[in-house]
Amino acid sequence: METLKSTFDFSDFPRLDITVAGAVSVFLLLFPVFPHSAFAMATMIQFLMFSLYGMGWNTIGGYGGQVDLGKAQYVGIGAFTTTVMLIRWDIPFWFSMPIGVCFSVMWSFMLGYPLFRLKGHYFAIATIAASLVLKDIFEVWDFVGAARGLEISPIKYSPPDFLRLLFKEDIYYYYVILAFFFIGILYVNWFRKSRLGFQLRSIKDNEEMAQSLGINAHWAKIKTYAIATAFVSVVGSFHACYIKNIEPEDTMSLDISILIALMAMLGGAGSLWGPIIGAGVLIPLKSYLKEWLGAQVGLVGIDLIIYGAIIMLVSAVEPRGIWGIVEKIRRRKKE
Amino acid sequence: MALLEVHGLTKKFGGLTANDDVSFKVNEGDLIGMLGPNGAGKSTLFNCLAGLYPVTSGHVFFDGHEITDLKSHEVARRGMARTFQVYAASGDLSVVENVMVGCFMRTGSGFKAKDRAKDILKEFKLQHLSDYMLSEIPVAAQKRVTMATAVGTEPKMLLLDEVAAGLNPLEIEEIMTTIRGIHSSMGITVMLIEHVMELVMNISDRVIVLDSGRKIAEGDPKAIANNPDVIKAYLGERYVQEHAEEFK
Repeated sequence: METLKSTFDFSDFPRLDITVAGAVSVFLLLFPVFPHSAFAMATMIQFLMFSLYGMGWNTIGGYGGQVDLGKAQYVGIGAFTTTVMLIRWDIPFWFSMPIGVCFSVMWSFMLGYPLFRLKGHYFAIATIAASLVLKDIFEVWDFVGAARGLEISPIKYSPPDFLRLLFKEDIYYYYVILAFFFIGILYVNWFRKSRLGFQLRSIKDNEEMAQSLGINAHWAKIKTYAIATAFVSVVGSFHACYIKNIEPEDTMSLDISILIALMAMLGGAGSLWGPIIGAGVLIPLKSYLKEWLGAQVGLVGIDLIIYGAIIMLVSAVEPRGIWGIVEKIRRRKKE
Repeated sequence: MALLEVHGLTKKFGGLTANDDVSFKVNEGDLIGMLGPNGAGKSTLFNCLAGLYPVTSGHVFFDGHEITDLKSHEVARRGMARTFQVYAASGDLSVVENVMVGCFMRTGSGFKAKDRAKDILKEFKLQHLSDYMLSEIPVAAQKRVTMATAVGTEPKMLLLDEVAAGLNPLEIEEIMTTIRGIHSSMGITVMLIEHVMELVMNISDRVIVLDSGRKIAEGDPKAIANNPDVIKAYLGERYVQEHAEEFK
């Protein structure tokens, strides 16, 4: 009962935030009704997916201050679990997705236990390495299609199939991921006010101090890492059904790990709205750059240059991202 | 059995012996001061008691159980809280949220933690600062917030590490009132490390003096102030010889 109350309680935000959030929600709900291009629809789905990745990353990376650059491996575990189960045993999405989450969480515990003995940059580097190793394993593992990857044939399972989450029209995918998106926001809203959330924030503040207040820092980090992993794995499974053609190089690349962390940091790590703002800025930018510049002028990789510039800008101007700037302005106004 | 018993505690960092065979007892309801010149091993002793450093040899008993090898979060759960000398506040948590972290040790409910944190802040007369970030308030208030946070864990015993360092006389007066309040009205056993002599002498029932890692004296504040060993530790051998007449 109390958990439920906390989940739906946004009262500690200023009224302006709630109004804006409400308006954005209405827009997201009605977006497919308005005329739109297929490109815009794909971009919106990407935006929602990456918002969810960012929200997951934000629990451990934002509230906990543990910069994790290996989230792509869990995208891969989720995506491959769903695809393999569908192709080999015809197990539908709604069953394979939770199983994928179980695999991801189990893997995250095994990895988290040694990784969280490391601190700061060493932790970040180790997460990159772990993610790349798993990608390399998938690339030579025939059971999951090795480097060629796997393809879900829409002819074999004729859409629309709500159980297997296979559709021809993107609008179905849009509403499924939108539902996950709202659930994600509610979950993080609960998390940030929960005991674990406070423990993580205290650890980020000062780990020795946190431990002297009875917090088992190592265990708290491992638990939160598993939560972040679950978010990413769910979206990974969705990604598999949506794209229908996955290979380790796409789903588990370092680019994705970095993009997830970058978006959350740009928007504002350690705040509820940060990852959504970050995804809202970066995903359209990424899509349009790829569409216009990348293809037409032949400027492949311009998006990477722009990410680099953004990282430098954020760390120089306001390490707490866009949301940090908003809060700074508000604080000044109050005074 | 006393609340805290330390038997022959020794802590070595490589070749350096920071604490050498220190033994003492703290009874429930005591207010103990620990004095000693710079580098005497006071903070190291606290860190050993609180489980931050592993002990080289010796035993620590708290509330009837051995806690020598426990980690700091386990020691905290047994009811021994502490504050830190240098607290680097990165400022991600507001004052009330800081105290809530302490309260969360005993409750899983956010609402209960918040209520309790508010009560504690009221008791510490800090309620007007609730919504400020820790980095935005004066140092003296910051120190009282860290004490409030430690009290939030509902400890049996509180270790205070140099809470008066860098404060002006007026603020020290305020801190003393706070410590007395924690001790008498909340009934928490307090042990404090302090450089500021007058604070320790004023409020402690009993004083322990460390020098070069060894316990050199223990007793009531008055006796300690006239103890030649203590004066030697603080002012040097020559001072004691020159003033030998006064100590007889």
